[in-house]
Amino acid sequence: MLHNDAITAAYLHIPFCRRRCYYCDFPISVVGDRKTGHNSGMIQTYVEKLCGEIRGTAQRSTQPYQTQLQTIFFGGGTPSLLTPQQLDRLLTTLDQTFGIAPEAEISIEIDPGTFDRAQLQGYRSAGITRVSLGSQAFQPELLQVCGRTHQVGDIYYSVELIHEVGITNYSLDLISGLPSQTVQQWQASLEAAIDLRPTHLSTYDLTLEPGTVFGKRYQPGDRPLPTDETTADMYRLASRTLQAAGYEHYEISNYAQPGYACRHNLTYWKNRSFYGFGMGATSYVNGQRFARPRTREAYYQWLENPEIPSELLASEIDHTSDLLVETLMVGLRLAKGVAIEDLRQQFGNSAIERVWQCLKRYQAPGWLEAWDATGKRLPPDVSWEEIDRINLSEPEGFLFSNVVLVSLFEAFGTG
Amino acid sequence: MTDVPVNRIRNFSIIAHIDHGKSTLADRLLQDTGTVEAREMKEQFLDNMDLERERGITIKLQAARMKYRAQDGQDYILNLIDTPGHVDFSYEVSRSLAACEGALLVVDASQGVEAQTLANVYLALEHNLEIIPVLNKIDLPGAEPDRVREEVEEVVGLDCSEAILASAKEGIGVPEILETIVRKVPSPQDTIDQPLRALVFDSYYDAYRGVVVYFRVMDGVVNVGDKVRFMASGKEYVIDELGVLAPTQVRVDSLHAGEVGYLAASIKAVGDARVGDTITIATKAAPDPLPGYVEAKPMVFCGLFPTDADQFPDLREALDKLRLNDAALSFEPETSSAMGFGFRCGFLGLLHMEIVQERLEREYNLDLITTAPSVVYRVTTIKGEVLLIDNPSHLPDPQYREKIEEPYVQVDIITPETYVGTLMELCQTRRGIFKDMKYLTPGRTTLIYELPLAEVVTDFFDQMKSRSRGYASMEYQLIGYRENNLVRLDILINGDPVDPLATIVHRDKAYGVGRALTEKLKELIPRHQFKIPIQAAIGSKVIASEHIPALRKDVLAKCYGGDISRKKKLLQKQAKGKKRMKAIGTVDVPQEAFMAVLKIGQENKG
Repeated sequence: MLHNDAITAAYLHIPFCRRRCYYCDFPISVVGDRKTGHNSGMIQTYVEKLCGEIRGTAQRSTQPYQTQLQTIFFGGGTPSLLTPQQLDRLLTTLDQTFGIAPEAEISIEIDPGTFDRAQLQGYRSAGITRVSLGSQAFQPELLQVCGRTHQVGDIYYSVELIHEVGITNYSLDLISGLPSQTVQQWQASLEAAIDLRPTHLSTYDLTLEPGTVFGKRYQPGDRPLPTDETTADMYRLASRTLQAAGYEHYEISNYAQPGYACRHNLTYWKNRSFYGFGMGATSYVNGQRFARPRTREAYYQWLENPEIPSELLASEIDHTSDLLVETLMVGLRLAKGVAIEDLRQQFGNSAIERVWQCLKRYQAPGWLEAWDATGKRLPPDVSWEEIDRINLSEPEGFLFSNVVLVSLFEAFGTG
Repeated sequence: MTDVPVNRIRNFSIIAHIDHGKSTLADRLLQDTGTVEAREMKEQFLDNMDLERERGITIKLQAARMKYRAQDGQDYILNLIDTPGHVDFSYEVSRSLAACEGALLVVDASQGVEAQTLANVYLALEHNLEIIPVLNKIDLPGAEPDRVREEVEEVVGLDCSEAILASAKEGIGVPEILETIVRKVPSPQDTIDQPLRALVFDSYYDAYRGVVVYFRVMDGVVNVGDKVRFMASGKEYVIDELGVLAPTQVRVDSLHAGEVGYLAASIKAVGDARVGDTITIATKAAPDPLPGYVEAKPMVFCGLFPTDADQFPDLREALDKLRLNDAALSFEPETSSAMGFGFRCGFLGLLHMEIVQERLEREYNLDLITTAPSVVYRVTTIKGEVLLIDNPSHLPDPQYREKIEEPYVQVDIITPETYVGTLMELCQTRRGIFKDMKYLTPGRTTLIYELPLAEVVTDFFDQMKSRSRGYASMEYQLIGYRENNLVRLDILINGDPVDPLATIVHRDKAYGVGRALTEKLKELIPRHQFKIPIQAAIGSKVIASEHIPALRKDVLAKCYGGDISRKKKLLQKQAKGKKRMKAIGTVDVPQEAFMAVLKIGQENKG
């Protein structure tokens, strides 16, 4: 079964950072603190190459019909190392090729201390409608612990600039589970963030990725990392505190004021197709996921001959059960969960029957909820035909989501 | 194949330690006599099973007939009867030695005599074999032929003045070996006129012809079409096919005293034509069978359970098929409350057990859970009954027991002197009784201990190897049963006794083993959504306890476009791991946990 929904989302990877943070395993190039000379040339070259990839992709596109882009996301790396001119050039290229819808959500990740007012003003003029500020923590010692380049003061200054240039839709990132972090510090960060009234908040429980500074330094459970018990409590605390402040917990790690969920990221969680451009970026087109080369050199080389996929991530993706499990894997990250009717149309009755056989046992511990079309919570013994929608409960079901997903992978034996 | 006079036949085997070059030498002999052309030579021709090639050891033995024109201008038939190179199969070794008049003793000139070699040399001497010492690998820079020659003389008591210096790899000394076999190994006795007696030294199952039996004719003549009787099993068959191994099977019409060959007679299982049995003519039977027949008795037992209960019929079928080819394998159905349906299987030793497990998993694609190996305990009840217990969970409760006896073995370890201390310590902690220590040559020592077999079948061999950096070698033989203060150590997971984890241990060691075992299980069993107590108990008394804390979270913090494939693989891996676990009540227990008692390693030595 192939995905051939209209593609309305594009991700652009800007792989430059001043330094590498200790938790980060993204494909990036470290450029240091200087913004001029050699580095600016390097970024300029990259922007040109990226424009080339966008044009080439549009030319080779076999999409039956072209729709305008509804969401664009500049991720990194540190996209705020781009000049407004470079950003404008990328957006212009996208507009000339795929077209950008007038009401499109255009997001960029910006890091405190990497931009000034003029730059932000320039981004806004170029078309940016939403920014995501990598604040991470409100304690100087914790910013230092994770290798960030910015100070707490930079966060406040950045938010001031965001307001001044008239960007109203913005998000803050926070990390829980950092080495030596206490529940009190976490609470303080949450409250500080709430005080700034962003439209959106992402809270990430620290993951020790292999190859990162943290991954090399710590094993799960090592001191001074907080225990699983503590980080689970931090997760619950965030859920309670942010909801009390009017934020909806709409995805495992994301909160938003009503109407401000990140539309671009919803593409991923609804398992819809998207374009991906740039070094290390993944695209999901015609049911196939491609990861571009993760070093600049290899990426540039691949651009010479981009018809050849650098790495086909899941060639078995057209297997129905694989797609089904993948759809649930991302869909159940959302508080709204998945609509049974959508699944049924795509995968058929017997597949849904099997899904339900596997999932219904998680109602007993209160992790899974089933609802009918009128929004009434259904009892555990209900048959799937009566269900309109299923979702993991917030926050307990979210906290144990892997247990639920693993049982699905087990039942469908994919991979 | 032309008829050959008895006095031109030489039957011999090769005695060598693993890695001392037996297979390479056998290959050379086949090549130099023109039995196998160099171009059709597969590396190590005699090791037929994949497993054997991988492990570099011979498990099932083979035979080869070579034609050799000696310096005296006469043509001779040389029959090489290969021997398996592991202590588990010493009975098979003794049968193939009984089929020979001579043996090549191959010793690595850079290493020296090893325990297993020594044991086999003694076996060969018992059968009055002419032994030809060969010092192999003399081309290696570390070769010390003089030292090793001296060692062989002292240890084996063999005159080594004419020992052949050889390098099978380089072809050095191979012509001398062939000449010496002709000159020194006695020809078989010419007993063609006597009633047929042929010694079975190997057999295997062939799907088309039934069991193919390898044998040496000791007396008389055997022809195609003869109705023969296997004297131990009493079964009678008409010979469909008779032949020699050259080394591929070549049909002949008749074989006589002194010759080595094979027969096929639509025999259904190797159990009907066991190694050591005597073949005779049904209508003209020899009055007595050849001496030395013993029915192989399993020494080590374990439970084999399919991870997936649906695979139980497949496991039964696979075991049935393996038994066609392996008379020493025994099994009967076992039901365990924790594990469901499986089989209690008996093996000659640990290697035999590992081989069977590996073949079941590899060749029959089964996912198995193996319980820790157990020996056979002899329990006398208060009513005076004697029970043989090969499954710890079947041990009667203490109030019904008069005494428990366990099998003891004599272990001979040959080691460089440096490791004597650490190996003695190993034997002591395994309840060993020191018997003797002999200096073989300066720097090399034999240690003799009596040990409970149960202590040997765990990780004793691995420990010996690691403590001696691989230099020590060992050999053991059963010496009888002894009474000991033994108890059953039960393991409770989440409050429920898990019978496949029960072990029988000495009371003095129970506390240490219990503590180590619960700690190990805590490591091996993943966290669940609830706290899991793990206890070790003797009867109703808990002697050690641990708990696995509850799972607090299991969630992927980030999952955006670029993460999806990677995160999916992560979850798939978790799912695969979980599939291989066995659900014990509400607790998923991984395969390794059932072998935990073998892995409690250093912490528990007393």
